[in-house]
Parts: sequence; C-alpha cells; structure tokens
Amino acid sequence: MARRKGIVETHSYRTFLIVAAFIFILPIWARPIPGEALHMDIVNLMVLTGIYACAVLGLNLLLGYAGQISLGHAAFFGIGAYTTAILCTRFTWFPTWLGVILGASLAGAIGWLVGKPVLRLKGNYLAMATLGLGEIAFILFSQLKGLTGGTVGMLNIPPLSIFGLKFDTDIKFYYLVWAIVLVIMLLTINLVLSRVGRGLRALHSSEVAADAMGVNTGSYRVKVFVWSAVLAGLGGALFAHFQLYINPESFTFALSILFVTMVVVGGMGDIWGGLVGVVALTFLPSIIQVFPEWIPGIPESLTNFSNYALVLYGLLLIIFMIFLPKGLSYGMERGVAAGRRSAKLLLDRIRAHD
Amino acid sequence: MNESILEVEEVTKLFGGLAALDDVSFSVEAGEIKAVIGPNGAGKTTLFNVLTGVYRPNSGRVILKGKNIIGSRPDQITAMGMIRTFQTVELFEGMTVLENTMVGCHSRSKYGFLSNSLRIPRAMREERRIFEEAMQILTDVGIETRASDEGMNLAYGQQRMLEFARALASQPEILLLDEPAAGLNPYETGELSNLISKLRDRGLTIIIVEHDMGLVMGISNDIVVLDYGEVIARGTPDVIKNDPKVIEAYLGIGTE
Ligand SMILES: Nc1ncnc2c1ncn2[C@@H]1O[C@H](COP(=O)(O)OP(=O)(O)OP(=O)(O)O)[C@@H](O)[C@H]1O
Ligand SMILES: [Mg+2]
Repeated sequence: MARRKGIVETHSYRTFLIVAAFIFILPIWARPIPGEALHMDIVNLMVLTGIYACAVLGLNLLLGYAGQISLGHAAFFGIGAYTTAILCTRFTWFPTWLGVILGASLAGAIGWLVGKPVLRLKGNYLAMATLGLGEIAFILFSQLKGLTGGTVGMLNIPPLSIFGLKFDTDIKFYYLVWAIVLVIMLLTINLVLSRVGRGLRALHSSEVAADAMGVNTGSYRVKVFVWSAVLAGLGGALFAHFQLYINPESFTFALSILFVTMVVVGGMGDIWGGLVGVVALTFLPSIIQVFPEWIPGIPESLTNFSNYALVLYGLLLIIFMIFLPKGLSYGMERGVAAGRRSAKLLLDRIRAHD
Repeated sequence: MNESILEVEEVTKLFGGLAALDDVSFSVEAGEIKAVIGPNGAGKTTLFNVLTGVYRPNSGRVILKGKNIIGSRPDQITAMGMIRTFQTVELFEGMTVLENTMVGCHSRSKYGFLSNSLRIPRAMREERRIFEEAMQILTDVGIETRASDEGMNLAYGQQRMLEFARALASQPEILLLDEPAAGLNPYETGELSNLISKLRDRGLTIIIVEHDMGLVMGISNDIVVLDYGEVIARGTPDVIKNDPKVIEAYLGIGTE
C-alpha cells in the first residue's frame, strides 16, 4: 500500500492502542483522593463521558463527514433510554442487554423515518426536522404518563446484566462502556479510511462532484444519519441502566446542543478530536462547580451549571467556529508543533553560542 | 464509425422563460470525439448537466447505450459508463490527489458501510484494487509524484489533470469534458490534446466543450454548434469553419 496511506492507517490504529491502554489503567490511579480541592469522581464522570461518546462519535460522522447538522440527537438518546427502561421495568424478566439493543434499533428506525424524506432534499432541512423531532420527543416523554411516568420519570431501572454478569458498580460499568466505545471507535476508523469515508468527505466538499463521480449522496446521507441515531440510542440506553432512573429533563434541547458542541469543540470530522471534545465538556460542569469555593462572593446563580449551560455552549460554538474551526485537538497539535519549533530554534541559538 | 452510443433527442430545458436548450438533437458514435461549441451562455454546460442527470429536461430523451436515462441519478449514469469533468475545477477539499482519484473509482466498487466498518477481507481486497488503479491512472496523466499532496494545492494546470484522472478512474465509455483547456498554457494544452487523442485511440468516446478553436478543430471528428440553446450547425471541422451561421454567431458575441 501507499506510503502515505500506510502512515495514516498505522497512525490511527496506533492512537487507538494508546487510548485503549490509557482507558484501561485510568481507574487504577484515578481513585478520589480525600481532602482534595476538586471533588470529582473521575470514574463516574468517565462513565458519563463514554456514554456521551457513543452519541458524539455518530454525530461526528454526520456533521464532520457528511456535513449535515442535527439539532435533535437528544431525541434518539431519549428513545434509547425510554425503550429499555420501559421494557425492563414492565417485564422484570426482560433481558436488559436486549432492551439496550432494541433501544438503539428503535432510535435508528425513527431516524430512518425522519431522515429518509428530508435528506433527499438539497440543503440543510435536517436541522429543522431534527429540531422538531427533539421537541416532540420531549413532549411525549413528559406527557405519555402511563408509559414514561411523565415528569417524574422512571425509577428502579434494573442495572445492566449480560449473561449473568451484573454491571452494578461504577467501575464495572466503566469498563463495559469504554469497551463499547472502543469497538465503535474501531468501526468508525475503519469506515472513514475506506471508500465510504472518501465518499462522505467528497459529498461534504462538493455534492455535485461527488454525485458525478458515482457516489449515491442521498443514500449515504440517510445511512450516516441512521447510524448516528443508532449510536445515540445506544448511548441513551446505557445511560438509563447506569443512572437507574430517568426523567424528561435528561433529554432536552440542551443535550442536543451539548452533543453538537462536543463535536465542534473536539473537531468536526476528527474522530479522536471528537473524543477530546466529549471529555472536555463532560468534565466542564464539575470543574466550574468548584470555582465558587475558591472565589468568594461569586453569585449564587453561577453555582448551578444548568442555569447557563446553553449560553456557555452557544459561546463555545461561536468561539470555536471563528477561531478554532478544526477543533481543540487540532489546535493543541498545532500548539505543540509550534512549541517544538521554537524550542528547537532556541536550542540552535544556544548551540551557536557555545 | 459504426453504431451510436448516445442519442440526444429533442431535448428542451427551460430556466423560467429562458430556453437554455431548445429542441436539441444529435447523436454520438462510439469511439468518436464530438465537440460542442458555441458562444458564452449558449447552453453547453446545461447540456452536460442534462446528460449526466443533474437537471431533468422539460422534454426530450437521452438514450445511452439503448436506454433512456432521463430521470436516472447522476451516480447511476456514471455507473453506466458516462462521466464528466467540470468547467470550474470541482476537486474535493481536504483530500489528497490520490484520494480524489480513488473517489473516481466509486462506481466500480461496491462494499458499503458494514463491510468496510468490519474490514472484511473482500472489502480490503477491493480497497487495494482501487488504490492500485488510481495510482496507475495518476501515472498515465503524469501527476503520480503529487499523489500524497492535497489536490487543492496543485498548480492550476495539474488540478485540471487531476479532474481528468478522477473521471478516468471510473473507466468510462463516454467522457464529457467541459472546457478542459480553460486556463491552460499552450504547452499544457498540447499535452491535453495528446492525451485526448490517446484516449480516443483506446476506444473511448469523448464529448468536448471547448472555446479553444485550435484544439477543437485539431482533434474532433464532428462538431455541434449551439447558439441560444439551439443547434445552428453540425458537421466536420472543415464544414463548421466555413459555415456562415457559425461565423455570425461568434462575431455577434465576439470571438473567444
Ligand atoms: N441553474 C440555472 N438557473 C437559471 N439559469 C441558468 C442555470 N444554468 C444556466 N442558466 C442559463 O442558461 C443559459 C446557458 O448556460 P450554460 O451555462 O449552459 O452556458 P454555456 O454554453 O456553458 O456558457 P459558457 O461558455 O459561458 O460556459 C445561460 O443563459 C445561463 O444563464
Ligand atoms: Mg459552460
């Protein structure tokens, strides 16, 4: 294979191995230290990160590769969560793993119903359609009281168990979720390095040229959208079995925007970058929450993150779109490269002096 | 020349009140180089857009290898063996020269989302085949040394060559070239002319839209002249050169 291609591939897969190793050892040294200023339960937050990562990986394909924006992925996340929650609380014999699979599948099916008619049209009608879907889903979650428990939500969701193995602690769930994320990651890398990935990038850059080169752009867009809905549904279903309770407040417009912000902050079309975005934004509230302890006199309203989450996401979106359109990880890479260059210059100077 | 590979029959395409194509008919023989010329705005690019399924004409038929392709999608028409290049270069941003060319192989490869996500061996073999074919084509058009550079970073003449290569990667039977010499210097135009003749000798059918009359007269077997969407003349280069209607159409607008 080509030299360059070889490099890209081994680079991606090597990064994969490094990340996998890091994830494996993280819980070992990330035990909460008593009396530390940052009261963060890293393992717990990393579980949430992994859950969000499922959704964001799919959204990154949709947004970064196919160039389509969804403002309603919280709906798919919620559909996944409610599907398995309803099945597993109604029928106590119902296998939880099957609930998760059905949740993801139903999210995909609804994604297909919404995406199929809309994605055949030129232009970005998907944003509008998904915005509507998100609102409708939220209303249904709150109003179908008999099914969803209304605004109170659903309690006593059983923990996930797979072939007798119960994932009822943070650490067990951590390894489960991240194993799933890593598998999705691997599938995604394979996909973007293939002809399908090239077709998606081509249709993002020039739809008319992609069409002319034989890419069935309409079908590609539908498939990516459905896949992203499945992954969001999967994330949502895992969320339900991790929290063990859900209510509509977990699946609002703010969550849809959070997903988009994660993609943009991490880097659109950058699979690893997307992961950076998820970590950064999942940890952000916990980091912000400790500020009031450090800075006396900060207004009470700022201590509750959800009060200003949307404003903050909006700001981040604007800032990144303008100054770092390729995302945080690309920016960091550039920063490191620039740092190396100046360090080298400095070293050369010093040597010249000797 | 033998049987016709493409028939354009009474095609009309309206934009609002304007007839960009007005009852256009002509046929293309397999293996010939057909030129479509005409002043700016005559409807040449619109003709290509109709042939490749970008626009649906208001009336008329386009018969490709015996099948009416009106209503077919662009990718389906490409898969049937007819592919085009663009008047303004339409390369894929952020993709290397090699990757751009590999996209051209799309219509002759089949493995989709699932097979490629799972890297099944057959999809991997196909991927290797695509890679080798694309490299071969880059060598044919002489830009293989730039394979790993971003397509958009090439010099203009090489970008044109890359568009060419990308279209050839689909191994077409009919190649539609929309002003391939626009912006090329005389040397590059000469190279292009050689390449086109070489492709014809290999049996490819070529329809070329071009303002460079030297190139058109030098390589084409047959010429169709459009003016305000209508066919005003057709024939061999010698006939067209001396056709009073053609001379008038060009003088009326100013020669290119
Ligand atoms: N999408 C469109 N909508 C409206 N009018 C169009 C459209 N495309 C082309 N036209 C009009 O149709 C006519 C033919 O345009 P076309 O681009 O086919 O000309 P052309 O022969 O390719 O010209 P040139 O030599 O400048 O490339 C022009 O008057 C143009 O303005
Ligand atoms: Mg034109």
